[in-house]
Amino acid sequence: MRRSRAAYPWTWRVMDGLESLAARLWPARFEKGLPYLMLAPAVLLVGILVLGLVQIGDSSLRVLDTSTFLMSEDLTLANYQRALTESFFATVAGRSLLGSVIVTIVTLIFAFPYAYLMVRTPSSALRKFLLVALFLPFFIGQVVRAYGWLIILGNQGMVNEALGLVGVPPMRLLYNYPAVLFGLVQYMLPFAVLMLAPALTAIPAELESAASSLGANWLRTFRHVVLPLARPGLVGAGLVVVTLSLTDFAIPAILGGGSQDFIANAIYDQFFRTSDQGMGATLSLMLVAVGSLLVGLVFMLFGAGTLAMTGGRK
Amino acid sequence: MAAASAERRGPRDTIAVSVRDVGMVFGDVHAVRNASFDLPKGRFLTILGPSGSGKTTLLRMIAGFDAPTSGEIYINDRPVSAVPPHRRAIGMVFQKLALFPHMTAAENVAFPLKMRRHDARAIPEKVERYLELVRLGGYGGRRINELSGGQQQRVAIARALVFEPDLLLLDEPLAALDRKLREEMQLEFRRIQKELGVTTINVTHDQREALVVSDEVIVMEGGLIQQKAEPVQAYRTPANAFVANFIGVTNFIEGVVAARDGASVSVSAHGCTLPGVAVGEALAGGDACAGAVRAEQIRIAPRAETLGNLDTLVEGTVVDAIFEGERIVYEVRVPGLGDQLFRVFDHDPVNHLQFSPGDSVCLGWNARDMHVFKK
Ligand SMILES: Nc1ncnc2c1ncn2[C@@H]1O[C@H](COP(=O)(O)OP(=O)(O)O)[C@@H](O)[C@H]1O
Ligand SMILES: [Mg+2]
Repeated sequence: MRRSRAAYPWTWRVMDGLESLAARLWPARFEKGLPYLMLAPAVLLVGILVLGLVQIGDSSLRVLDTSTFLMSEDLTLANYQRALTESFFATVAGRSLLGSVIVTIVTLIFAFPYAYLMVRTPSSALRKFLLVALFLPFFIGQVVRAYGWLIILGNQGMVNEALGLVGVPPMRLLYNYPAVLFGLVQYMLPFAVLMLAPALTAIPAELESAASSLGANWLRTFRHVVLPLARPGLVGAGLVVVTLSLTDFAIPAILGGGSQDFIANAIYDQFFRTSDQGMGATLSLMLVAVGSLLVGLVFMLFGAGTLAMTGGRK
Repeated sequence: MAAASAERRGPRDTIAVSVRDVGMVFGDVHAVRNASFDLPKGRFLTILGPSGSGKTTLLRMIAGFDAPTSGEIYINDRPVSAVPPHRRAIGMVFQKLALFPHMTAAENVAFPLKMRRHDARAIPEKVERYLELVRLGGYGGRRINELSGGQQQRVAIARALVFEPDLLLLDEPLAALDRKLREEMQLEFRRIQKELGVTTINVTHDQREALVVSDEVIVMEGGLIQQKAEPVQAYRTPANAFVANFIGVTNFIEGVVAARDGASVSVSAHGCTLPGVAVGEALAGGDACAGAVRAEQIRIAPRAETLGNLDTLVEGTVVDAIFEGERIVYEVRVPGLGDQLFRVFDHDPVNHLQFSPGDSVCLGWNARDMHVFKK
C-alpha cells in the first residue's frame, strides 16, 4: 500500500479524477470544439465591450437639454462639433497627447538600463532586489502613491524642507504640468521594465561578446546590436505606456490639482459634474479613436511582427 | 606595434600567443589552474578535453571577455590583461555562432570591418571575397535564418576572419552539427587555416577532430593541462593515464612494477609478468601502476602459433562481437588477468566476423605498445 502510494503520488490521482470528470462533461468526440470553448469567455467579454461601445455611440449623438436635464430624442452631431471647435477640449487633448509622448520617451529611457541591468547582472541578489523594487509600487496602488507624492512634494513636504535646510525658499512643486508628467513616469516605469525584460532576455549575451570581439565598443554594440534586437520590446513597452498615460485619470487629477486635466478627467467631468452624458460619450469615443489610430500607426511603421507576435524571430 | 616584434625575430618562430601561469577561479571552482603554453605564429592548436575541463574559460580569457585571476597572457609579446576585447585583433567563432539575426550574411561579415573603420569603399569587395573563401559566394543577401546550419557556420567563420585578425579562436563551433557535416567542416577549417596562415586555437571534446585538424594538441582535464604535443605524439606516447584513456580506446591492466631497466619495465599482474615501456621518470620497482594497451595494438587469433612474434600472449573467450562497419570490436574476457574485459579492434577483409561469442581466442601485443603509468 505504502509503496504504491509512493509510486503513484496523490497529485496524479487528483489529476486522474479531474480528467475523468472532464471526459464525462466533455466527451472526446467534441475534442475539435475544445479550442473554441476556451475562446468563449474572451469573446463574451469583448462582445460586452462592443455592446457598451454601441451604447456610448448612441449617447454621443444626443445633446443635453439644459432646461429638463434630459437627453434629446433626435440624433445630431452637435457634440462632435463642440468637441472639435471649443478650445477647452483642444487644450485638454493637446496636453494629454503631448504629455503621453513625453512620458513614454522619458519612461523608456529610464526603463531600458534598469531592465538591462536586471537581465544581465551576474549577481542574483541584485536581480532579486531590482525585481522586488519594481513590484513594490504595484502593491501600493496608483491613488495612494499619488497622495504620497503630495506629502513629499507639498509646500511643507520633505523636499521643500530639505531645500529649506540649505537656504532655498519653498517652491511650488505640485499642481503643475511637470508634476503630472513626473508622477506618470514614476507610475509607468514598472510596466515598461516588465515589458522590456523578456525582450532583452531573448538577446543572447554571446551576441554582445561577439560584437565586442569584432571590434565594437559598448556604445556601438548597443547601437548596432542591442537596440535593433530590443525593438520589439521597446515598441511594445512604448505602446503600453503611451496608451496608459494618455488615458490616465488619477495622477492628473491628484498631482494636477484640477488645473492639469487629461482627457479622462474631462470625460469624468462631463459624466459626473455637468451630467452631460452625450458630451462624455463623444469624448470617450474620440479617445478610443485616437488610441486606435496611434496603435495602428505603430503597427504600420514597425509591422505587427515587431511585437514578436508573428513568431518569425528566431 | 606588431610590426616591431616581427622585425626582431624571424617570421617562422615568432610566438603569437603566450599563456603564462594563467588561472581562473569562480567562487570555489578552479576552472583553469596554472596553464602555460606558447603558440608560434601560423600554427593550429586544439585544446581537447571533456566537458567542464575549463576549455571555454581559457578561450574567453584569451579573447579578453574575462580577466584571469592569476597569470598573464601575451599576444605578439605584449601583455593583454588591460586590453578590452574590441581592441584585440582576435576573431572568434562561438559555440552557438552568435550571428546577428537582424542582419544578412553579408552585413554580418561586413560588421567587423565597419566597427574597425576600414575603408568603406573596399568593404563590399572584401566581404564577397571572404564569402567566396568559405564557399558562400552569392549568398550574401540571405538572412541568417534562411541559411542551413552548415552555411551559418561558414558565415561565422568568414565574419571572424574578414578583418585579418592575429588570432582565430574556435569554441566547439562544430559540436552541434551532424557527423557527416562536422567531418566536412573539420577539413574546411584546416583548408582555410592553411590558406590564410592565421594562428588558430580550436577547442573541442572530440578527439578525432583534435587529431585531424591540428598541428598541436593540448589535453585538458579538471582545469589542468595534461599534455601538449603534436597529434601523433599525443596518440602514440600519452603523458599519463588520463590522456591514454581520453584519446583512443585503451585497455588498462593494473599491477605492480616488478623491475625497471631504463625505459623498459615489467609489470606483475595476477601472477603474470608483462613487459612494457615506462612513462615518466618516477616509476620504480614496487610502485602500483597501470599498463595501457590500445585496442588496435592488440592482435586477435584462434591459436597462439599465429601470434608467435609478439612479446605478450594471453588467452580468453569472446564475450561480444560488435560490427562497426570499417572495423569489428571484440570484447574478450581474459581469465589469466583477473577476468578483465579487453576491447580489441580487428579488421579482416575476408572473414568480416571471424569470431562469435563463446569462441576461445588468443590475444597478443608488443612490449613497446604497453605504456606503463604510475598510479
Ligand atoms: N561564469 C562562471 N561562473 C561559475 N563557474 C563557471 C563559470 N564559467 C565556467 N564555470 C565552471 O568552470 C568549469 C569549466 O567550465 P568551462 O570552461 O565552460 O568548461 P568547458 O568549456 O571545458 O566545458 C566548470 O566547472 C564550470 O562549471
Ligand atoms: Mg565549453
